[in-house]
Amino acid sequence: MTLIADRPAPGIARPYRFPQVVRRSVAGGQVVAAHLPRQNLAVAMLLLDAGAGREPVGREGLGGVLAKALEEGTAQRDATAYALAIEALGTELVTGLDWDTFQASVQVPVGRLGAAVELLAEAVRTPRLDPDDVRRVRDDEVTALRINWANPGPRADAALRADLFGAGNRWGRPMYGDPDSVAGLDVEDVTVFHSEWFIRPGTLVVAGDLDRLDLDALAATAFAGTGGGPVDRGAPIEVPVRTGRRIILVDRPGSVQSTLRLGHPGPHRAHPDHVPIALAGTVLGGAFTSRLNHLIREVRGYTYGIRGDFASSRRFGRFAVSSGVQTAVTAPALVEAVGEIARTQSGGVTEDELAVARSWRAGQLSVELQSPRAIAGALSTLVVHDLPDDYHARLREELLAAQVDQVSAAAATHLHPESLTLVVEGDAAVIRDELVATGLGELIDHPAAG
Amino acid sequence: MPDSGYPWPISMTRLDNGLRVVVSEDRTAPAVAVNLWYDVGSRHEPAGQTGFAHLFEHLMFEGSTHVAKTEHMKLVQGAGGSLNATTNPDRTNYFETVPAEHLELALWLEADRMGGLVPALTQETLDNQRDVVKNERRQRYENVPYGDAWLRLLPLLYPPGHPYHHATIGSMADLNAADLATFQAFHQTYYAPNNAVLTVVGDTTVDEVVTLAEKYFGGIPPRPEIPPAPDGRVVPATGVPVEETVVADVPAPRVYVAHRTHPFGSPGYDVVTVLATVLGSGRGSRLYQRLADGERLAQPDLVGAYGVDLAHAPAPLIATATARPGVSAEQLAAGLAEVVDELATVPVTTAELDRAKALLTTAWWRQMSTVDGRADALSRYATQFGDPATVAERLPGWLAVTAEQIAEVATETLAAADRVTLTYLPEEAR
Repeated sequence: MTLIADRPAPGIARPYRFPQVVRRSVAGGQVVAAHLPRQNLAVAMLLLDAGAGREPVGREGLGGVLAKALEEGTAQRDATAYALAIEALGTELVTGLDWDTFQASVQVPVGRLGAAVELLAEAVRTPRLDPDDVRRVRDDEVTALRINWANPGPRADAALRADLFGAGNRWGRPMYGDPDSVAGLDVEDVTVFHSEWFIRPGTLVVAGDLDRLDLDALAATAFAGTGGGPVDRGAPIEVPVRTGRRIILVDRPGSVQSTLRLGHPGPHRAHPDHVPIALAGTVLGGAFTSRLNHLIREVRGYTYGIRGDFASSRRFGRFAVSSGVQTAVTAPALVEAVGEIARTQSGGVTEDELAVARSWRAGQLSVELQSPRAIAGALSTLVVHDLPDDYHARLREELLAAQVDQVSAAAATHLHPESLTLVVEGDAAVIRDELVATGLGELIDHPAAG
Repeated sequence: MPDSGYPWPISMTRLDNGLRVVVSEDRTAPAVAVNLWYDVGSRHEPAGQTGFAHLFEHLMFEGSTHVAKTEHMKLVQGAGGSLNATTNPDRTNYFETVPAEHLELALWLEADRMGGLVPALTQETLDNQRDVVKNERRQRYENVPYGDAWLRLLPLLYPPGHPYHHATIGSMADLNAADLATFQAFHQTYYAPNNAVLTVVGDTTVDEVVTLAEKYFGGIPPRPEIPPAPDGRVVPATGVPVEETVVADVPAPRVYVAHRTHPFGSPGYDVVTVLATVLGSGRGSRLYQRLADGERLAQPDLVGAYGVDLAHAPAPLIATATARPGVSAEQLAAGLAEVVDELATVPVTTAELDRAKALLTTAWWRQMSTVDGRADALSRYATQFGDPATVAERLPGWLAVTAEQIAEVATETLAAADRVTLTYLPEEAR
């Protein structure tokens, strides 16, 4: 057997290049496109300033119900005819919602993009919204959420979010709502939300071979019949971190694993420390070789995986760790996870760890941005956060230039191990006493689902 | 109709030790995908050793002769790469996509664990990854409603002794019994260059890849006789429908209907692929139109059908629906069976066929839109059909399927007398 012992050195890197970005203003809306020469598929994504953050408190899930209702018939055709028309092009209407935006997109062979955008616009701008259909979609959505909430995770996520941001605020409630909030929606909520937010032009993102696409024609279709301008997006929200840790126990009788959700509020997306914060999160919980995954999975074998990161939207952010651990080791897993967060906050990161984190994050900008869908996602980041065309190239440089002291300072400033909310969703009868005995914080029993 | 589903160059070279090296150059982006298929999966596992192929996949990340424990992940991510591995009944697949300047690193890592895993394998590593895999089993199959459906369907579809009878994740008892010597023998038996395909797609050349493959893999000796998995190609129809009902902590009744069809890669399975799309992909599908929209028996987001792309025996077609509130499992099962039955009796229209083909065309080009998607496809076709260039035939094969063929295949493989039905009932309905 002959194996080569010496690890090879890297070859010469080709320069990084994000696809050429094209921006246009057409018919009152904006177009942001990326040129992908010879790519057979193309994606068009309409971004509207109608994210979950626009939903009134108590009306969580409104955007999700509207998204489903868009396909229940339009001014021109009924639901079945619409489904057959759009699927005959090779795409479904894909809708998505986050805190900042509502997205509707299509993905088709490039020659069909014009027809697909016509159908996208038809559903988004001129849905029928028949009251019976809207009520039925709402009821289906309630059931869908009930079924989803039978999985481990959604209840723990909701408990963490409420504790971090306050259940009296929209951003302290689940992004997609919960079964009760959706059950409380009525037809008028949906039609008013549509007329308020879905007939403003928004931004059309296009990723594809621009030599075979007519951006002006696509935009004219997407923005036809729209009106109204941008609306103030609101300033970043100051969210205080709590004084003292607490454990919130969500009972899931018979659970063979405990679902962990640990977190505290964090910086919003435009915070100047964004890059060092992201790298600190990568060292602690992002990469496979992160501190958390190394200890809890690779050394202890407590879990299939554990992740931690800082996530941020325009107005707020949070740090969170998530995992599922075997029930019998819930308490030690929790103690050790908190220990790694504290160690990272107090001691910072090492050059060895940062080297992996910065190269990985920089490399991902090439490796993970290949498909039209991925490029469209990258363009939507530019749109939502008002970033320039060369953002990805600059980000790459910033990542590669980040130094240990910068990243350690970000960890010291933005991690708050003493203020963590530790949500544990598991078999309370088995784990409750052990959790109390950890001394990590006061234990609060989460009210049972209603 | 396109005459090729793969409009990029393909070359295959066989090294003296039997390793097949497939290369597809594409200079669009400065990245390369490295993908290895080992022709070993859970179908090779004897009774008492279920889950071993998959647990072994985990051990491949834990160090080898010149790579320390945890270093594999660190080196690939530290090079900016993405990596993972998967195991299924047919095969085990390892892959990484890296910036092109790190191609040689990726090949060095793969060669070291192909040729030098056994000396680095320790009891401590085995015990740790056994715990990780048991947690994977809990997380994916045991702790979620309906999570064990696949584990239950396989033994209902395939008789004892059939290579697809048991699920890849294996049983807790077998995982607990796994010993180090078995895994050492597993590597020596199956992880040989003549039992693998190495594919590289992206920013490189055939010459570069073949030269590097010779350098790093060329010294690994072949294994003369690799034991085949049991032959599962013929599964006699029993003529007796199989039904299983599970009362569990689930939020609503759910029904799965499953059939053995044709092996992936056969003309019959191309028909099954189009048939499954007609039946259960999208809002225009028969299941959605009939059960979610029409009779309103099923939850709209949870109705669908798909084939499982397995190549070494008649592959499963699975259709599933979850009941709307107030709908019984019996009503739902009857509705689901009726729609499946009608594939043989109610001809598929041109509009239905065109819709399915359009969706499949997009899905095909979506996989082909990344170097990693292409590399996986080339490894598959080289491993399972002996020639990576046959990848180009799949999309045209789908597009050539006719309504008559769908009716024929439905008559032949979806008969009610040869059906597996798995029903979940919520505990309060007991």
